[in-house]
Amino acid sequence: MALRRIIKELKDLQRDPPTSCSAGPVSDDMFHWQATIMGPSDSPYSGGVFLVTIHFPPDYPFKPPKVVFKTKVFHPNINSNGNICLDILKDQWSPALTISKVLLSICSLLTDPNPDDPLVPEIAHMCKTDRLRYESTARGWTHKYAMG
Amino acid sequence: MEVAEEAGEAVLAYALAAIADEGAGAGETAAALAALCDVLALSGPDLILAIPSARLAKRLPKLVAAGDGDVPLLAARAMAEACEGAPQWAASFAQHGAVEALRDRLLAVDCIELAEECLRALDTISTECPDECLKGGVAAAVLQFFDFFSTNKQKVALQIVSNIFNDYDEEDAPTVMEAVPALCNLLQSSDKTILESAISCLALVAAGTSENAEHMGKLCEANAVEATMSLMGNEGWKSLSDDTLTGILGLLKNLASISEKAVESLFKLDFCELFKQMITYYSSSNRDNDKVQMLVELIYQLMLPLGASEQHATLVTAKKNVIMGQSIYMNQLASIVALMVQIAKCAALSSLCYNCVAVISNIVELSTPDFLMELQNTVNFSSFLTFLLARKNRHIVFQALKISRAVLEKRQQFFLETFTKEGVKHSIDSIVSQEKNSSHQSKRKNNMNESCLCFDLESSSSGEACRIENNAVMKLAEDIKKSFFSVKGSKKSPHKFGFALKSFRDFFVRLNVHAATPPTENPDSCKQLSDLSRRLLSDELPVTSTFEFVQSGSIKCLSINLSNGAYCNTDLSDGQDLLGHLSEVQSRLQKFASLALTVPNDSSANPLGILVEKLLDTLHMCYDSFPVMLSDEQSTRESMMIPLRYPETQELKSLELKFRRSQREKELRNYNDVLSVDLFSTPDAIEPVLFPQICRRTDQEPAPKNSNQENGANGSTKLGESKNDKMTPVSYPDEGNRSSKLRFLYNGVILQPSATFFESILRLVNKGQSDLLIDPSFWDEEHYITYRKRNRSQEISSESSYNIQLSHVQENLQQAWLKDPFFTAILLGKLPGDLDVSDPSYNLLFMLKVLEGLNRFLYQLLMDEQISKFAEGTLQDIDDLKVAIYPVPQHQFMSSILTNKLELQMQDNLFEGGLIPSWCVYLIETCPFLLSFNTRWKYFCLTAHRSFMTDQVNNSPDQVNNIFDQVSGHSDQVKNPPQTKKYRVSRSAILEGAVSMMTNHGPSSRIVEVEFEGEVGTGRGPTFEFYTTISHELQRAGLGMWRGDNCEDGFIHASFGLFPKPWSSSGTQGIDFSNVLQKFKLLGHLVVRAVLDGRILDIPLSKAFYKIMLEQELDMYDIPSFDPELGKTLIEFQALVNKKKFLETSSRTSNHTAVLSYKNVKLEDLCLDFTLPGSPEYELIPGGSQKIVTLDSLEEYVYLVVDATLKSGIAKQIEAFKSGIDEVFALKTLKMFTEEEMERILCGEQDAWALKNLEDHMEFEHGYDMSSPSIITFLEILREFGREEQRAFIQFTTGAPQLPLGGLALLDPKLTVVRKQCDGNVDDELPSVNTCRHFIKLPPYSSKEIMREKLKYAITEGLGSFHLS
Repeated sequence: MALRRIIKELKDLQRDPPTSCSAGPVSDDMFHWQATIMGPSDSPYSGGVFLVTIHFPPDYPFKPPKVVFKTKVFHPNINSNGNICLDILKDQWSPALTISKVLLSICSLLTDPNPDDPLVPEIAHMCKTDRLRYESTARGWTHKYAMG
Repeated sequence: MEVAEEAGEAVLAYALAAIADEGAGAGETAAALAALCDVLALSGPDLILAIPSARLAKRLPKLVAAGDGDVPLLAARAMAEACEGAPQWAASFAQHGAVEALRDRLLAVDCIELAEECLRALDTISTECPDECLKGGVAAAVLQFFDFFSTNKQKVALQIVSNIFNDYDEEDAPTVMEAVPALCNLLQSSDKTILESAISCLALVAAGTSENAEHMGKLCEANAVEATMSLMGNEGWKSLSDDTLTGILGLLKNLASISEKAVESLFKLDFCELFKQMITYYSSSNRDNDKVQMLVELIYQLMLPLGASEQHATLVTAKKNVIMGQSIYMNQLASIVALMVQIAKCAALSSLCYNCVAVISNIVELSTPDFLMELQNTVNFSSFLTFLLARKNRHIVFQALKISRAVLEKRQQFFLETFTKEGVKHSIDSIVSQEKNSSHQSKRKNNMNESCLCFDLESSSSGEACRIENNAVMKLAEDIKKSFFSVKGSKKSPHKFGFALKSFRDFFVRLNVHAATPPTENPDSCKQLSDLSRRLLSDELPVTSTFEFVQSGSIKCLSINLSNGAYCNTDLSDGQDLLGHLSEVQSRLQKFASLALTVPNDSSANPLGILVEKLLDTLHMCYDSFPVMLSDEQSTRESMMIPLRYPETQELKSLELKFRRSQREKELRNYNDVLSVDLFSTPDAIEPVLFPQICRRTDQEPAPKNSNQENGANGSTKLGESKNDKMTPVSYPDEGNRSSKLRFLYNGVILQPSATFFESILRLVNKGQSDLLIDPSFWDEEHYITYRKRNRSQEISSESSYNIQLSHVQENLQQAWLKDPFFTAILLGKLPGDLDVSDPSYNLLFMLKVLEGLNRFLYQLLMDEQISKFAEGTLQDIDDLKVAIYPVPQHQFMSSILTNKLELQMQDNLFEGGLIPSWCVYLIETCPFLLSFNTRWKYFCLTAHRSFMTDQVNNSPDQVNNIFDQVSGHSDQVKNPPQTKKYRVSRSAILEGAVSMMTNHGPSSRIVEVEFEGEVGTGRGPTFEFYTTISHELQRAGLGMWRGDNCEDGFIHASFGLFPKPWSSSGTQGIDFSNVLQKFKLLGHLVVRAVLDGRILDIPLSKAFYKIMLEQELDMYDIPSFDPELGKTLIEFQALVNKKKFLETSSRTSNHTAVLSYKNVKLEDLCLDFTLPGSPEYELIPGGSQKIVTLDSLEEYVYLVVDATLKSGIAKQIEAFKSGIDEVFALKTLKMFTEEEMERILCGEQDAWALKNLEDHMEFEHGYDMSSPSIITFLEILREFGREEQRAFIQFTTGAPQLPLGGLALLDPKLTVVRKQCDGNVDDELPSVNTCRHFIKLPPYSSKEIMREKLKYAITEGLGSFHLS
């Protein structure tokens, strides 16, 4: 079941690719994907290309996929291991969601960070109190890590 | 030997001669004495007695008194030796002035050696002749130079004193008093034994002169009260030995009863505070009823004998003046009243209750009207009195009436009003009318049986007849009625009362009417009704008194309403529409649940909680429906001790029953022989044994012989004790269609077939009493039982056909709650079993059972309702398909009285042997929630061995054999004392080792002990380690046992607990399925050992798995508890299915696909096929992997997934698991526990985190560090959390109730506490969390109390919505 669904999502992605991201299996293992996310233009991540790995659990789509940033990101909701704190990847997951919707949500998380529910409190604090510094740091990191 | 003896005789003769020679010099006499001592020390009593005593007895005391040099010492030693050898000598010595001589030597203290020798001699003399010693003033003398003696001799000295004071004559009291100051001084001693002896001496002093105020006053002057109180202060009473404490309390009691000085001292020392602590401690779960009794008696004595007798009038006034003189003293008493009320309310013993009531009565007598009103603020006297007046015990009723009169005299207006509201007036009225109506003779007969309770309290009245005459109650009740209730002025008082009554009646009438009409026809009335019921349940109910609640008939109305008229309806069976009835009851329960169990916005108390409280209050008025039976073999069992689960060898009590044919009975033969049966035997059990023997062969009835051939293998036995040599094999029909052929009667009363003979007879003998004390002669008597043939009645079979029909219907239902016993009860309108419907407790038990069930299935009920709302369109968004539940905490269903009563019953030594009243068994089986967990656990331990499947019972360990064993009186279930059996296991192959070990051990009733191969360790340590290690081994990933793929370090980490992974019958890959089954069986074995051997398993089983263990039904709603994502989606799918069905039936257009998408996605697009989520090889239907789930097949899909997950997919595993348990004991005995309790039993009380190094596994950031005051407080609070709170906290901060294996230390990321920035008032904020990061934001609260309160609120609030996502 999971496999059928993953293949369908892959076909859908290929047929109607989203503007700012792409995704697909790394090798023959359909449960292990890799995706790239373009930094949204209206964000400090603009111009960066972010690598993301996706692991589908065997009971997908009943369980959410595991999505982790491989590229370092300076963001209040993404930590140094690349873990993302996003509700639809945890308890708000639903089989009605797809990988493409998840990737879009991550894009908008990049644009609109959620410092009130942070994963990295230091960044959240900076984001709230010193927006400019946060943005410039994020831009710096994007340059350094996401434009290689 | 002979030579030595002869030599001894020679020496003796010489010595005697020399000693007798009065003219001999000191040196000569001394030598002779020394020789005598040697001989005496070596000789046996025979020889010593043979010595001509007369002269020696005369001479020795003289020598002690007048001798020079060593002579007195040696003479005293000789006396001591003689007395120790032959105590008879003591009297002769005493006759000749030995006592005085020794005393003078003691007082002279010229030589400590001599003094100690004197003590030795006096030790025996004081035992033999205490009177002489007393008159001689020995006691004081012995204590005079006490400090100079060695510790050993000090003990001897006190032994002498206690010998002398034991039971002395009143007239000698002045002499006794001389020793008192010295004794009181000894209370400061640090030596425990000396302290104890001193106290017991003082207690003897007080006991001997308890009537004499003057002497008791002396005791007080010697600071006896202060000294003993200071011993008990500062929790000192906990470290005192039992005897000492008993001594002190006895002393104080005697002092307080006679001396107002003692009373004053006690008040000055604020005894109330201390006694409150002690009473609370000793009364909790019947720890020590005797101590509580003593303490209460003591308090009673403080105020006695108020108005009791005239001769003490001065004392009474004196005491009264002392107590009333200081307002602080009255306040101290006031503080004790609440405790007394509480103890009286839950006391299992009538005597204890009576004593408490007597104390309260005295305090009330002492109170001024204003003070009484202050008391009323802490204690509701009226409801308490109603509670007491419902008792059968006349003593208690009498005291309650006394209190009633006293409070009415003091505050007539106020109490008349509350008496009306709370039902005191009603009770008194009915006492008067009832006694008038009943014929006096029959009443009196019952009363004579009641043991007098005054006896304990008033020491003076011992031996006298009961102070409360037979008609005293009646007289007092009439008196109260005449002087107070006839007053006209009370007319305007019951305004509130009538209103509450009426509104409840109204409500239920309307509810019934409402239920009869479909809601769609009358939406207005529906709204009105729900408003009304909300107001009733949440506004009216809390202020309604229990009495009004009972009088309004609400319970019955509610029962009838909820059961759709089935309650107490006997002709239910007549071809009713079962399905219609079922769905009606279902919908009524649902409506009621949403009314009673949803909290209005301002999270006030739950209406159901209040309802339960009222029901329990009412149940407690039925005190006499649950009689405790105590044998004369009184409780030696430590009440707090958890009893052994393995039976000890024990002589079983048996009962002699003589069976005779009833005179009217002509068909059966007369048996006329005595059977010795054990206490468990019931008529049902005895019948198959008896029947063949009394059955005439010519009988028309199908003889048992015929049926015997069909199932003869089922079990045959011989009658062990009977002398009848004809062994007739008996067939034993299945339990289902067993119908008794015989009626048994005792004294003309038909015995209930399922109640034990023992209990039935006992109850009939002691008619109408609440506590039964079994007379020893009961066991020796032969009890005559008559029997006659029973007329078959058809009704029973028709009723059972209804039940069969019902069980068929229930089997096909999906929802688990519709299969729960509580639902069956409400559906049939009756409780299971053959309870007496007319008993006042019946409808309360019924309602409590139903409400407890509702409460348990609250989530299911409310979710069902949400789903139908969604289906009908009132709820639009599928994302809103959630409920917040606020169930009543389980402990609120617990009845303190019933728990106490069972505790008391279990303290009886004959409990295991069958001294178990049937109500105990019934409550355990049907209403376990009424009893506390500890009590049920104790019950389990005491009775567990009865459910053992012992290997002694050869091939068929079924009930038949057991019953015969019991009948024959000597049960074959071998009662070995707990023995251990050692096993050696290799660490490298621990799983295999465990499997073979457990299989070998089988159902043996020996404790398993484990040691590891190649290691020296043995005993508890390695055994505990074994259980921990094996629990971990069973959690290894890749075993195929458990759901979940979240593996860490090779172990499965199941955040929501382990639940079996479904295996399809066809496809298995990689793992051998039989291995999986083997491991589940092993788990079953481990569970058994954990329960029986008291081992602890470290395995986080899910709640749902525990439900399976307890043989509860599971349904879709259980899935979220172990797999939240799957569960949530399945529930949403089900809602969609229902919506589709609703639309199809309600409108004609069939094109609903637009409405019926799943979150705006077409179902086909989800690409689900008919395989089990997570297991593509598990096809739900043949070829399922090729079949896509569509809207039309969604219903089937949900059904199949749920079925595979909870039933068919795990059936074999569960079967294997259960077989592991069933091999040793009957699984059903565990049913008395809840899932949480089962977990506590298996996994112990271990903490969710290691408390010591809590801070090592946490991080503190953003304004906090380890030394911040807030953090210190926070850690303190966490440490104080109980298990459930810890759980809730972990759930709150991490989102999952289980920590990974290894606990907090292995949590990743670490639990982090940061300071929460607050704009407004800090104390208004709540802590918040980020579960991704395991992050808790804690505001820096101003106090620990506030922090605790806020934390608790946050974590429990979170729990309520646990099912939300």
